[in-house]
Amino acid sequence: MPSEPGLGRLPPPPPPPRPGGTTTSPSDRAPGATTPPGPEDFSQPRRLHPASVLLGVPLAQAVQAVIFPVVATLAAPPLFTIIALVGFALLGLIVRTVDWRLRTFSFDGEVLRVDDGILSRNHRSLDVSRIQQVEIQRGAVQRIFGLAAIRVETAGSASEPEVDLRVLPEADAVALRAAVRVSQGRLTGRDIGGSAAQGESTAPDEAGVEVLRVPLGHVIIAALTGARLLVLPAVLAGALQFIGNQVGPFVDRYVEQYLDRLIELGIAGEAPSFSGPDWRLVALGVGGALALTMVAAVVVGVLRDGNFRIRRVDEDLHISRGLLSTRDSVVPLRRVQLVEIRRNWARRALGYTTVRIRSAGGSAGGEGRVTVPLLPNTEVDRLLGHLLPNVDGVPALHAHPPAALRRALFRWLRPAALLLVAAYLLPEVLGVLDTEPVRTVQPYLLLLLPTNAVLAVVEYRQLAHGATPLVVAARSGALSISTVIAPVVKVQALTSRRSLFQRRLGLTTLHAHVAGPGAVVTVLDAGRADAADLHERLAEHAASPIPVVPETGADATDAASQTSGPPAGHT
Amino acid sequence: MHTGGAYGALVSHDTHPCTPEAIVPATSPGSGPRPPVPPPPPVSAGSDAPAPTDVGPHLRPGLDDRERELAPAIVTAWRISAALGWLLPGLVLTVLGFVLTDGWGWLVLAAVAALVVFSVVFYPGLRYRRWRWQLTELAIELRFGVLVRTQETVPYFRIQQIDITAGPVDRLLGLASLQVTSASASGSATLPGIAADHAPEVRAELLARAAAAVGEHPGDLRDAV
Repeated sequence: MPSEPGLGRLPPPPPPPRPGGTTTSPSDRAPGATTPPGPEDFSQPRRLHPASVLLGVPLAQAVQAVIFPVVATLAAPPLFTIIALVGFALLGLIVRTVDWRLRTFSFDGEVLRVDDGILSRNHRSLDVSRIQQVEIQRGAVQRIFGLAAIRVETAGSASEPEVDLRVLPEADAVALRAAVRVSQGRLTGRDIGGSAAQGESTAPDEAGVEVLRVPLGHVIIAALTGARLLVLPAVLAGALQFIGNQVGPFVDRYVEQYLDRLIELGIAGEAPSFSGPDWRLVALGVGGALALTMVAAVVVGVLRDGNFRIRRVDEDLHISRGLLSTRDSVVPLRRVQLVEIRRNWARRALGYTTVRIRSAGGSAGGEGRVTVPLLPNTEVDRLLGHLLPNVDGVPALHAHPPAALRRALFRWLRPAALLLVAAYLLPEVLGVLDTEPVRTVQPYLLLLLPTNAVLAVVEYRQLAHGATPLVVAARSGALSISTVIAPVVKVQALTSRRSLFQRRLGLTTLHAHVAGPGAVVTVLDAGRADAADLHERLAEHAASPIPVVPETGADATDAASQTSGPPAGHT
Repeated sequence: MHTGGAYGALVSHDTHPCTPEAIVPATSPGSGPRPPVPPPPPVSAGSDAPAPTDVGPHLRPGLDDRERELAPAIVTAWRISAALGWLLPGLVLTVLGFVLTDGWGWLVLAAVAALVVFSVVFYPGLRYRRWRWQLTELAIELRFGVLVRTQETVPYFRIQQIDITAGPVDRLLGLASLQVTSASASGSATLPGIAADHAPEVRAELLARAAAAVGEHPGDLRDAV
């Protein structure tokens, strides 16, 4: 094996060949990078902050603890409910206190250990080289008391973070994260030793280069064009109905009493009778609900994503967001698995997009914790350059063969046709379905055919894929168009599929799997030869990876020039 | 540069001197359960990665890179599982057909019967004929599928875990299935039916190749995630 490239930089001690998964012995430590003693020394097992007895309870559990006694004693008198609530609270408090006493963590520079559990003890050891993402989260209440929670994620496929320490003094959380970063840097041979760590622990928000800051206006636009606008009315309606059900009877009774008294006094005549809906009132109601929804969406969006910033510190991305409760994630650049650029129709019309950054962390899905809320289209390439070094922008994408249009039409028209057939035939066969509603719906279902045909054409026009020696990218979608870009080094496995219909048309669907739940680049309906070629090339790269994030500058160009072509526009 | 160079070396080692016939008794693919293979030389699999120079052709146990079929007994296993799988839905569909429709019940019954006959009698055979797996220079490759043709590739370098499982039907027939998992949850490959006594050998070979592939790469490149 050729020797380590020794360049102008401080030559780090070459990491000895070590079997995957086991820890390095302490003798491997770089000299001078020892953790400073004192409050930041995590080598002894320590407990969380005592406030975690109360503040460490997840919200869902707290809600359950209230709802369960209330529901269980619904039929009983209120006093019983109160007793049950107090009893539950006391029991919970005792359990939480014992849990706090028995939960310890330590970090010796290589392994993060967490011991917890009351009845069945649970000892977790997490090698620092396996850590994908570290996030510091400060809830609104936690911020008042100077506390924070720290979450550590590995490349598991579980839905929960591997280690979730709630809550610590904020300084401890920041110091622990800095210690993890120093160890990670040492493992990869980078020197982000003592000075950087100390600098960070004193001024955690000032270090590094700012990559992106999302202005407030953009956060508001994001809230108004996002999917939450569709979800919120349902939530609001549910909440209003709940309140209405609770309060309504009382209000009704008082209004009735009031009207009765008015009639008795002879001020009013008969009670007003209901005569059809007043359309002005309905319009007012709908307009009010819409306005309320928008305001709520903006408030939620601004609280969640306000002050969104991405900074680059050494080889890590620091992503922070939130006004009341803040989240501050650290994703090492070499752990970025996938970048998804997504535009729904509203954002496309306005020239904006959202960008989702995925590491292999288990809980990165769902809420999309590292999602840039809104970005002008013109900024996308610049951001990509920061997320995936040596990659300047979305690679050139090639459209798919015209046969893919036929498949798109088939894909969109098939469900519509099935629905139509079912709507027209089933009432004949099953007497049960031969009802008025079904008859009235039938003609409207015919409208699905032209609509879906248009959507199919739109989808076909968006289908495209592209690959450079460093990244693979694919675009798809009709209503919401998403472009997925993954570094070629991160591709773990490949699957090509050709259905009967695709074989006739000479098409192949290729999936390039990267780590993380549901993280896959799907090249839908590419030409058969194209897909086979891409499959082979990606498999070859996956078998002998070349880093996207350079260890040193010259190393990267060296690595890139080994592949079939130079990375576009980079020296 | 290490990646290209060292890898090239491995490839040349692998393809030329390590002729399969020298180590494994030649069997035509798919000619029944494989005869027992002479015990492979001790393979350092998994924990400690041998240096690339140690991974000579002579230390490798032999599983050549030709296309392989599954063990023929898998057809029986598929038949049994298809029959069991259709039992309940077929019954429910037939009953529903007779109860809900007037006079169409026999048609439903005929359709269900045709489906069951197809999926128990004909389909497993077609499926078996389409199944191929192969250990290439760089990856384990699976090709299968009757209606949807699928090609799966998991490079040795990306292998995180290998499981051998055998359900009750599999054990009766002397079969095992081997699942190769990468760091991606969706990117795993499953070999459904190989002879149970052949499975440990395949696993050892895969582990050896995975360890060798990891050994090729320096420092932090070894971390496949």
